[in-house]
Amino acid sequence: MNAIPVLTIQDVATLDAVLEDFLKKSEAELTVVIDRGGNVISQSGDMSAMDVTVIAALAAGSFAATRELARRIGELEFNALYHQGNGSHMFMNSVDDDTIMITVFGTCTNVGLVRFYSASAAQRIATILTTLRRSTHTVAFQPSAAPVFADR
Amino acid sequence: MSIINYASREIQFKIVYYGPALCGKTTNLQYIHQRINPQNRGDLISLATASDRTLFFDFLPLNAVVIKGFVTKFQLYTVPGQVIYNATRQLVLRSVDGVIFVADSQWEKMEENVESFKNLGDNLAQQNISIDDVPLVLEYNKRDLPNIAPINYMEYVLNNRKKRLQSFEVISSTGQNVFAALNAVSQILLHKFSKQKDIPQGPPLPVAIPVEPPVAQTQSTSV
Repeated sequence: MNAIPVLTIQDVATLDAVLEDFLKKSEAELTVVIDRGGNVISQSGDMSAMDVTVIAALAAGSFAATRELARRIGELEFNALYHQGNGSHMFMNSVDDDTIMITVFGTCTNVGLVRFYSASAAQRIATILTTLRRSTHTVAFQPSAAPVFADR
Repeated sequence: MSIINYASREIQFKIVYYGPALCGKTTNLQYIHQRINPQNRGDLISLATASDRTLFFDFLPLNAVVIKGFVTKFQLYTVPGQVIYNATRQLVLRSVDGVIFVADSQWEKMEENVESFKNLGDNLAQQNISIDDVPLVLEYNKRDLPNIAPINYMEYVLNNRKKRLQSFEVISSTGQNVFAALNAVSQILLHKFSKQKDIPQGPPLPVAIPVEPPVAQTQSTSV
């Protein structure tokens, strides 16, 4: 029997508090913490207009691809990436070896502010995740036997 | 590695379609996207070249409720099959939970199938995952074409091991056995984490079923 790492309600609340504080200070619209495989770990902000799952998958791919670019110029990886749009922009920064933080922001703020506050937020998240990885919270579950998707 | 989130009541799993160039990985995802209930899937994202060759990956998120009280998110990816894109395949395989290996049944593709399967093992090993430990099923695709190897030959070439994998005769363009393979790997994956030690025998429980019955689904070989 294998077990899946667990984020408890308390763990998520701790992460959310850091993200909400970051959004408040940076005046960004939303922020998502993902692992480098594209799984969403935590998120905060207005998600109504965006599919966070897709953003996570594409951002993980984008970050991984630029890592190869970084190696070509002698860097281990680029710590941060900035995608500039006309009204909406995206900033991604490395949290730790397994985790990335994505921030979407508009015209209310600027990349400098987002970059400044995301650095400290990433540090706090990294500390929390390090603690979580050491914890023994795991769970094994019993899958339902019922069919999941019904015929239309 | 998947994560279970008690706050959002979600579990995420990553399934990767792997195989040689032009074997039908993207066609698998296109068929699933087309046939599954729109409420249970997101958009199909394809990062492809102008000539529709996969450049980075295809991505299709599916939602299911296979564990009581939790939404289970299956994230389906394909890798680029062309040999030169091995670095990209390694990136897509990161944190993989299950693999569907798509083999091209045509005689002239057999060497590429073997090469790609070996490449899968090597790339998993780079992540310290043994190919014997990852939930894995085989698709023998393009069974409708004239110049194809018989199933027992495909089994000999790709499934000749102590513990044989589940394999399926697939025609991804019509959808034959596309869902059977997806359901099989999903069940192996779920039971890997479940309290049951053994995967139940008999027909696998459907994790994802098409909105309409697909044409002539026949499973070829089981464990």
